[in-house]
Amino acid sequence: MELKAENIFKSFGEKEVLKDISFTAHSGTALGLLGRNGAGKTSTIRIIMGVFFPDKGRVLVDGKQINRNDIRIGYMPEERGLYPKIKICDQLVYLAQLRGMSSKEAQKACDKWLERMSMSEYRNKKLETLSKGNQQKIQLAATLMCNPQIIILDEPFSGLDPVNAMLLKDVIKEMIAGGAVVLFSSHQMNYIEEFCESIAIINQGKIAVDGKINDIKRSYPRDRIAVTSRDVEKISPFVLQKMSDDITDVKNDGENTVIIKMKSPDLKSRLFAELSSQDFDIDCFKVCEPSLNDIFVQYTEVGV
Amino acid sequence: MKHILQVLKFEYLNCIKNKAFIITTIILMLLILGTSFVPAIIMDMQSSESEETPGEMNIIGIINNAYDDSDLVTKTFEKYYPHSVVQLTDESIDDVKTKVNDSQYTFGVVLNSPISFTYVTKNNSLMSEETMTIAEAAKSIYRAVNFEKFGVDHERTAAILDAPVIYDTVTTGTDQTKNYFSTYILVMILYMAIVMYGQMVSQSVVTEKNTRAMEMLITCAKPTHLMFGKVIGSGLAGLTQLVVIIGTALVSVKTISMKSLPEGLSDMLTMPVSTVIYALVFFITAYFIYAFLLGSLSSLASRSEDLNTLTTPVMMIFVVAFMIVVMSMTNDINNTLMIVCSYIPFTAPIAMFARIALSDVAFYEIIISIIIQLVSIYLLGMLAAAIYRIGVLMYGNPPKFNEIIKLLKEQHKTNKAIKSKQ
Repeated sequence: MELKAENIFKSFGEKEVLKDISFTAHSGTALGLLGRNGAGKTSTIRIIMGVFFPDKGRVLVDGKQINRNDIRIGYMPEERGLYPKIKICDQLVYLAQLRGMSSKEAQKACDKWLERMSMSEYRNKKLETLSKGNQQKIQLAATLMCNPQIIILDEPFSGLDPVNAMLLKDVIKEMIAGGAVVLFSSHQMNYIEEFCESIAIINQGKIAVDGKINDIKRSYPRDRIAVTSRDVEKISPFVLQKMSDDITDVKNDGENTVIIKMKSPDLKSRLFAELSSQDFDIDCFKVCEPSLNDIFVQYTEVGV
Repeated sequence: MKHILQVLKFEYLNCIKNKAFIITTIILMLLILGTSFVPAIIMDMQSSESEETPGEMNIIGIINNAYDDSDLVTKTFEKYYPHSVVQLTDESIDDVKTKVNDSQYTFGVVLNSPISFTYVTKNNSLMSEETMTIAEAAKSIYRAVNFEKFGVDHERTAAILDAPVIYDTVTTGTDQTKNYFSTYILVMILYMAIVMYGQMVSQSVVTEKNTRAMEMLITCAKPTHLMFGKVIGSGLAGLTQLVVIIGTALVSVKTISMKSLPEGLSDMLTMPVSTVIYALVFFITAYFIYAFLLGSLSSLASRSEDLNTLTTPVMMIFVVAFMIVVMSMTNDINNTLMIVCSYIPFTAPIAMFARIALSDVAFYEIIISIIIQLVSIYLLGMLAAAIYRIGVLMYGNPPKFNEIIKLLKEQHKTNKAIKSKQ
């Protein structure tokens, strides 16, 4: 299955919120929507969910206009939406039924997911009596109960402690392995990097960059090499002396690592050969890739 | 359709299980049970009072300044007050006043001249007919004395003058006197039920919006289904409550009150089955009309505090409708205003109901009114769903009327565009 947003425009009054947003997400992979506060992530998600309609553009599933009644979609809105004064199992069953499950299936799924979230003991409690993190878990159960083909999570990690975040990670990984299309937005780059094969960075209503994380990273010049070794102190002077014409900068990065910036990425095999010819105790020799954080900051800084 | 049923079931069960709802129902039931004992208690008190202290309680003090024949005065008053002791006295008017004030006399009468008297009473009640009776008695004495003067036998003239006329009423249409009371009660119940359950719907919508559950719901089901399900579900819950309460009332009135009620009053409380059925029909139409209006307007509010601003205009319409009906009930129920009102969807339910209960309305008129109401329910339902759709994500200050219209138009346009694409 393939979920595609195609040239989506949306204005609220005078304000143009989304300008030509397009991206594609595939089954069995996760797409991370990144962007600063107010960039248009939630608006994009709401348009995909049909909460409101785009001014222009389409949302397609396998090339056809999305029909939200035929596809099981799990949606976790940014502003968590459940009934505070109603018993947890009652509202979970209700929402699952609205998403097309029979009463029995819904009951079963409710038990299964409460168990999975280790929340079974709260089954008959009212939602408002739970802590924020636990409410979040219930919300996640509500999202995943219908065994969705498309999962859309708006900031799923906010408010979770590390243990619960781990639980959530496991569950999401399971869903991805099960072949679901997962789309999620988050500010927490480490999570995005962990799940998402692809990202789309939205800046001021426009797609700033999108594609596979690896491809994006590879698109950066691969001219910086990080060498980790106990002999860092010997390595720095050695390379400076041996390859002074090809190297623009050498600097220590942490205790045992040195970062060597070369004039061209093609020179890295020469550097490798020079280093291996000596008797240095090298733990690691690798190309320095930009972190997702660096990429994010670069694309979303004001004025870029 | 499946969605409507699911929403309906959910809303219904939530209403029924709601603690406040259950407590209200129980309190109302207890109140009704309690009040149904009232007639019996009053009756009991009255009978025990008159049994325990015969004669002692009711003494009428009369100062006779008009006639020489005091015996005639006493006798005549005794005829008019068979259960009281008539006591002619020579006391001054001030003494009588004191005695009345001390409750030694039930009341006092000073016959100043044959055709004028002073009535001395402690508390003058609004409904008191005492002066009329005293006037009758005084008139009777006056006649007797004067006839006597002309040599006519008083006993015979009295028989002619006071000949009792027996009458009987045959009603060919609806007996307004008999139905007035029961209709009044039903109109009152209709009014209160609509206000109560209408507000229940708007409260429920605003809660959903406040807790952002709406965003989840709107992605699962169509707004029309959500709206209809919610309104029907809450309505059924309301109906359940009404059935329980009215059922309690009927049973308790039948078993407890009726036995002790005087016949005239119990007659007033019985109502024809058709009236009850019409009450039910118009409860349902009125409920839908107002629930849709209130529900959709509430979806524009982001907090419960904004609710009043939005729903007051609708409530005003309903209050005006109620006032018109209640005022017309005491005069001509079929006046032009009422006839017009019984075809305007917002006023039709109670106006038409009052007309049916208190007069004869042609069947086709009832059908036309009901059809008008049904059509407006459908249209209002659609409008409500559309407004609900816009309201979902509208936070901040409630929008102004023209803004709502503008948004509705925009939405209609995008809907059309999307349909044509598909």
